[in-house]
Amino acid sequence: MPKKNWVCLLLLLGMALMVFSLAGCGGKDTTAPAAKDKEEIKIGFSISLTGIYAPAAESQMRAYDLWLEQVNKRGGIHLKEYGKSLPVKFVYYDDQSSTDMATRIYEKLVTEDKVDMLLPPWGTTLHFAIAPLAEKFQMPVVGNTACSVKIRELDAKNFWFITSCIPDRQTEALVDLMKAHRNQLKTVAITYVQDLFPRENLQFLEPLLKAAGFEVVLVKDYPIGVSDLSSLMAEIKRLNPDAYLALSYPEDSFLITNQAMEAGLNPKFFLLLVGPSIAAYDAVYGPATEGILTQGHWSPKGGWPGAQDFYNGFVEKYGERPDYLDSALAYVSCEILEQALTKAGSLDREAVRNVIATSEFETINGPIGFTGVENLRMPAMWLQWQQGELEIVWPAETATAKLLIPKPKW
Amino acid sequence: MDAIAQVVLAGLIMGGVYALIALGLNLIYGTMRLLNVAHGELIMFGAFAAYWMYTINQLSPLFSLLLVAVGSALFGIFIFFCLFNPLLKRSQSQDMMAANSLLIFFALSIIMQNIAVFFWGANLRSYTYMSKVIHLAGVPVTANRLLSFAIGVVLCLGCYLLIQKTLVGKAIRAVIQDRECCKLMGINVNKIYIISFAISFAMAGVAGVLLSMYYVFSPFMGLPYTVIAFIVVILGGMGNVGGSLLAGFILGLVSSVGTALTSPGLESVISYLIFILVVLFKPKGIFGKGF
Repeated sequence: MPKKNWVCLLLLLGMALMVFSLAGCGGKDTTAPAAKDKEEIKIGFSISLTGIYAPAAESQMRAYDLWLEQVNKRGGIHLKEYGKSLPVKFVYYDDQSSTDMATRIYEKLVTEDKVDMLLPPWGTTLHFAIAPLAEKFQMPVVGNTACSVKIRELDAKNFWFITSCIPDRQTEALVDLMKAHRNQLKTVAITYVQDLFPRENLQFLEPLLKAAGFEVVLVKDYPIGVSDLSSLMAEIKRLNPDAYLALSYPEDSFLITNQAMEAGLNPKFFLLLVGPSIAAYDAVYGPATEGILTQGHWSPKGGWPGAQDFYNGFVEKYGERPDYLDSALAYVSCEILEQALTKAGSLDREAVRNVIATSEFETINGPIGFTGVENLRMPAMWLQWQQGELEIVWPAETATAKLLIPKPKW
Repeated sequence: MDAIAQVVLAGLIMGGVYALIALGLNLIYGTMRLLNVAHGELIMFGAFAAYWMYTINQLSPLFSLLLVAVGSALFGIFIFFCLFNPLLKRSQSQDMMAANSLLIFFALSIIMQNIAVFFWGANLRSYTYMSKVIHLAGVPVTANRLLSFAIGVVLCLGCYLLIQKTLVGKAIRAVIQDRECCKLMGINVNKIYIISFAISFAMAGVAGVLLSMYYVFSPFMGLPYTVIAFIVVILGGMGNVGGSLLAGFILGLVSSVGTALTSPGLESVISYLIFILVVLFKPKGIFGKGF
């Protein structure tokens, strides 16, 4: 055989080996009885280090890493079953933002790496992709960065969602907030990016607004990765709505901010769905963020135990503030897992599952407990930039500041 | 009236950037018949370079533009000598060369992307520079976009003139037309390759600097630009450098006017529709082979 063919053959063999090692050859669930001389708790997850979700997933990964550092500094998690505290070790792989990769990785984590517990990957799509695996392996997973009304259709016994940013709940809260300032708000323009989450929000928002007597003057969409919205901004400016609700993702939130400034678009009520809570946003716009609203239900000033410590710890470790949505959520799911393990006193999946399903947890985002897959104890909230800080402005019982209206001009 | 001016201006500004990135891509394609799928990653590196120089050293992007241009050109020459020169020498046929080079460029794009993720992180980045709003014929536009447009046009025209009016340009055009013949005529084809690599890489880097002034970016920003550049190259004709210039503006204008008349949701539909129509009816591009 010529030399070149040998090289090809070797390469092919190497690739095949890689594929097999990742796919996890044994499909059997080997819930081996935990050896009593266990030295560490292995927690596995996949994370989007590359691909389309990677820019967003970093705030989640950082929260995981911060928690890992803190929990091990405390000496690990105490488990009664072993009569001692065990340090935590992460096992994780890059899922390349692909559902296919993510499911293969979780399969491998459970069957080959034999991790003790799991944390979720980033985003609604990947959460949904791995939820069936959690059921298959009877492995409890506390989800974090995912929200969709479809979570309630999941017949899951081992999967939970923390956030209250579920489109029907949060749009209802939004319309309530707008109703409370009805004297200033009559007309509304809506734009949305063509993706599942913004669409779901629109689906609930539009009828609610109309039922509440607001006049919706424009509803327009644009694709992910859009490069220019200047004509759209000019059109909205011509319509001059009192409120502009942009159901956006981070990248287009930046684009809309730039081009709304450019067009001199100054609505009294300006909302960008996802984006303004990430650290890069205020780093770029500084005082121009004043009055911009966004989704979220956490703030270091929320008065919950540990919230300010989390904020300080994050800033100290990364030199940048946490994302008020994703970082906080990711950290909360780690907290819940830690408390559930301690309470169960064991790594037994069934025991941990029961604790998570029935207990209430103290977190940096307040008390959390699950009804089915959903955390109903947390109300849907809205955040607004005020004087360089993201304040909770709705609902009144968790608010850290009053709504600033009208939004100051750029 | 304002609305029309708004749409046209937006289209021209986009077109300027499209032309700039497509021109670079087409130069390497024209002279060497190689498709640089890592073109977008070069843009990304340019954007990051500008970002770091601005946020750490407060260096104006106008100045970092020069540094990035020189740096990218040197990087292009380095890549040529390390990867493509050996390949050129070893390849027995043009087909083999094209196939292997595609793999090399593909690998380059993955490596560059991962270097960016590894060292700088995957999160979104942006900075504000010259974001003052200027009113041009009643249309508000930020100074940075206008500036980027101006620089893009000057560079494109410069490159076009270089190719049309100078001796080196003549040689480049000759190589685009017939490489084998050029070798016989005593043109140092290798030198032309190196020049094409340097100019192409430099233009991509500069495009990155310009885009970074008003777009948010991440290590994954590259691919859409590679795709756009590819569409523009097809529109203008593969190897037709002047065609790329015009096609860039045409695509920018058509997608701007098209989305304004319909919906921004149809942006990619419109660009791909033009692409398909051109491939169907003018497979050599709107302007054919040119020169």
